[in-house]
Amino acid sequence: MGVRRLRGLVVRLFGSFGRERLERELAEELESHLQMHIEDNLRAGMTPEEARRDALIRLGGVEPTKERYRRQRGLPMLETFLQDLRYGARMLARKPGFTAVAVLTLALGIGANTAVFSLVNATLLRRLPVNDPEALVYVYSGQPNSLYSTASYPDYAELRDRSEVFAGLAARGGITASLGGDDQTELAVGQIVSGNFFDVLGVRAALGRTITTADDQTPGAHPVAVISHGLWQRRFGGDASVVGREISVNGHSFTIVGVLPAEFRSLEQGRTDDLYVPMMMQAVARPPRGGYSGEMNPDLLQVRGNRWLWLIGRLKPGVTKEQAAAALAPVTQQQAELYPDTNRGRVSTLTRVVDGDPQERGSLLSVAGLLASVVGIVLLIACANVANLLLVRASARRKEIAVRLALGAGRGRLIRQLLTESLLLSTLGGVAGLALGWWAVDLLRAAPPPPGLLPVSLDFTLDWRVLVFTLGLSVLTGLVFGLAPALQASRPDLIPTLKNDSSAHDQKHRRLNLRNALVVTQVALSLILLVGAGLFLRSLWRAQAIETGFDESRLLAAQLNINLLRYTRVQGREFYRQAVERVEGLPGVESATVARIVPLSGGSSVRGLIIEGRGGADDFRSENAGGGGAGLDTLSVSVVGPKYFQTVGVNLLKGRGFGETDKEESPPVVIVNETFAARHFGGEDVLGKRLSVNGPNGPWREIVGVARDSKYVTLGEAPTPYAYLPLAQNHETGMTLLVRTKNEPADLAPAVRQAVESLDRNLPVTNVRPMTEMIGNSLYAARMGAALVGVFGLLALVLAGVGLYGVMSYAVSQRSREIGIRMALGAQGRDVLRLVLGEGMMLAALGAVLGLAGAAAASRLLGSFLYGISTTDAAAFVVSALVLSLVALVANLIPARRATRVDPMVALRYE
Amino acid sequence: MGDKTDVWQGTLALMVLKTLEALGPLHGYGVARRIEQTSGGLLSINYGTLYPALLKLEQEGYVSSEWGVSDNNRRAKYYKLTRAGRRQLAKEAREWEQTTAILARFFAPAEES
Repeated sequence: MGVRRLRGLVVRLFGSFGRERLERELAEELESHLQMHIEDNLRAGMTPEEARRDALIRLGGVEPTKERYRRQRGLPMLETFLQDLRYGARMLARKPGFTAVAVLTLALGIGANTAVFSLVNATLLRRLPVNDPEALVYVYSGQPNSLYSTASYPDYAELRDRSEVFAGLAARGGITASLGGDDQTELAVGQIVSGNFFDVLGVRAALGRTITTADDQTPGAHPVAVISHGLWQRRFGGDASVVGREISVNGHSFTIVGVLPAEFRSLEQGRTDDLYVPMMMQAVARPPRGGYSGEMNPDLLQVRGNRWLWLIGRLKPGVTKEQAAAALAPVTQQQAELYPDTNRGRVSTLTRVVDGDPQERGSLLSVAGLLASVVGIVLLIACANVANLLLVRASARRKEIAVRLALGAGRGRLIRQLLTESLLLSTLGGVAGLALGWWAVDLLRAAPPPPGLLPVSLDFTLDWRVLVFTLGLSVLTGLVFGLAPALQASRPDLIPTLKNDSSAHDQKHRRLNLRNALVVTQVALSLILLVGAGLFLRSLWRAQAIETGFDESRLLAAQLNINLLRYTRVQGREFYRQAVERVEGLPGVESATVARIVPLSGGSSVRGLIIEGRGGADDFRSENAGGGGAGLDTLSVSVVGPKYFQTVGVNLLKGRGFGETDKEESPPVVIVNETFAARHFGGEDVLGKRLSVNGPNGPWREIVGVARDSKYVTLGEAPTPYAYLPLAQNHETGMTLLVRTKNEPADLAPAVRQAVESLDRNLPVTNVRPMTEMIGNSLYAARMGAALVGVFGLLALVLAGVGLYGVMSYAVSQRSREIGIRMALGAQGRDVLRLVLGEGMMLAALGAVLGLAGAAAASRLLGSFLYGISTTDAAAFVVSALVLSLVALVANLIPARRATRVDPMVALRYE
Repeated sequence: MGDKTDVWQGTLALMVLKTLEALGPLHGYGVARRIEQTSGGLLSINYGTLYPALLKLEQEGYVSSEWGVSDNNRRAKYYKLTRAGRRQLAKEAREWEQTTAILARFFAPAEES
């Protein structure tokens, strides 16, 4: 029975189509029925008229029968819908101007939302390409004030071996590798991973095998590497015979054993790791780096103080995150007791991998939230605008609708038809919006943020989520802007409408009020966006005016990667000396130096600080750990070469710079900045005081100079304590060359690169760029914010302007008779102008007041995005309001002037 | 004509099936007249309601139709019971008999007392 009914439904579904033949057959069948009946009736003795009449009566009429038959033949709902759709399409095609404006408006609104959603989709909703990600947890080892920190290898090994809650606990540590081999050297990033890493993730090789625990038993025994799909394509042309080939990693030969699948790029957002090598190979795979004591490459498998590993574990089935954390606590506590120097106060923290990086998620969420609110407002404005257009059009169609109502069309049926039209519009807008959104995403992709500045992966894909989102949004949009106009339009008073009395009607009616409300809303919303844009612009402006504290013009930076070359300490020092000398010999160069940390490049090196004679931190240097925490004295430092202060343009306020006398064997010295001196020594004289950044055993460094404050990590930062250490006493391998030029620094880039490469042609000199560009990058977020919110604010302004203009034009056209009478009675153009303008500006003013209030509330959310201005920055509010008023004035002036040109005679006759 | 009973749809479908079983392939007019005759003039159906009913049966696969020529040489659409229709008829007839039997028991004592 169910099957039969289904069959019936399917047949009826098709019955809705191709019905000409069916109609013919129906007519023929009924005709033959009638003829047979008439013949029988004649035979029974009726007259021909009677016979025909009787047959028709008994049938129940030809047309009603046909109608009943048709209802059974197809699916009436579907047919009505198709009919509405056809009708709607015809109506839209008849008004191409209206349709184009509405579709474009919606496309802008929906497209903006699509673009932002695909951003969110690519980041927050990204599914890790691993097996059962729900069971994966990150395990952090940190201090109470900075929980999300890294672990050392000995700590990791104990956590791994002594906990029962994990099916597997893996570790990884990032490396930068110079890949050599077939006479091409390139720089790649990769991971040193524990043998169970791929097992824990459940990632299999696309080709060959992954690293296994067998590769990870004996230090130095298995020089094997797994490469990414990207590297395989890029460097090996996707050659399947790559497995078994040798590749040189930081000067050591590794055998490639496998290639990863294309979808596995990295565990981290926005990062692509090209190379994976076993933990036991870390000593050779890891580029040597000058430790704080200047030692090369300590054996990290033994050093508990060097926390370089991120841990990721797979929970055993049925074990919760909380149970796992509880199980780890005793191990961590015991470590703290046994190794107080390195582990005191350390706690383990677990977060679910599917929740993303806890430190990035917050900022990602707030960026996504900001963008979503902005585009949401734009869409609302677009909806208001289209609703307004529909209302105007509904008045134009009032007669048509009244006729249909008078002929007996049900109100529900009319509403359904009007909504179908709205949905048609919004779907068209959605399709166009999808295209627009993708174009916008393409733009974003073409101008990616500088690496490391935004925790956003830019690998967008057009997947079903984006499509469903856009489709859903289109339908919702169609309902939002379509419902109110449809409800109103289907409720006209028939009598005045049919009597063609349109003007008197509108005055007293809600319709205009709804329109006014929409305009007020639009004005208010667009003012909110404008204020937001204004705040971003002001902040950007402020940021650009921020004093960096050094002279960034005519300064060129070039990263020297000698750590990839396994130079000894002596060779390294000699290399720097020669590089600086060669570059200084170039024409157009004033001076040159090297530095470990380039100001505003985003890098920082934070160490624990102990001032002689006072208590202090006993923590060791932590990499990537950021600003340290309260209760722990930390100090950001940079190791710099000779002539650093002169080259970079940082003034020394007291004491001296580093000189020839500061040799490796001479007493250690340090130069601090003003803030350091003020914070730690107040009014005291700092020169001659000593401090340690290497723990309680020194070396103790004497403060020999005080440098002017400058900006170190970001332009927006507050004055930060800072110290400079001389290269001669602190060997470092990751130095950057800084060159003060006489002219445009970018012009010298090739010469500088050549000069360095002539010293060692295997050295990849990367990131040669002017300092101004680097500073520009640090403003990326502010600039992007200003650009995005600015563009959307402008868009909103235009839409609001158009909306205002539309409503006022319509009001004027409806009131032309009234205006005509006024003028006939002696009103001047000026009076009419005032009348119309006053009304429009009233709406704008109301919207502006609401908008300012809304902006004041909303802008508080912007606080964390702004540099150096308050969220209630008066200038931003005032200027935005003025700009809006100006646009409102123009939008009102045009219809108002048109009103003054109303010819009383024409206006009076027209009605 | 006044006290003739209106026919509701499900019953009409059953009557149509029964008619087609008894008389073989038949056009809509023939079915209508036959139903009227069989009911002994007690039933007056609006002939027009027959066609949607026939269409529904056809959509559900209980009857099939094809164009043919009537006794007096007129082109007409002939309806024929399908095998599924035969089964359906047997089933519904059974159900109908059951229903009437049950109802009959309810009414029988009432009339006696």
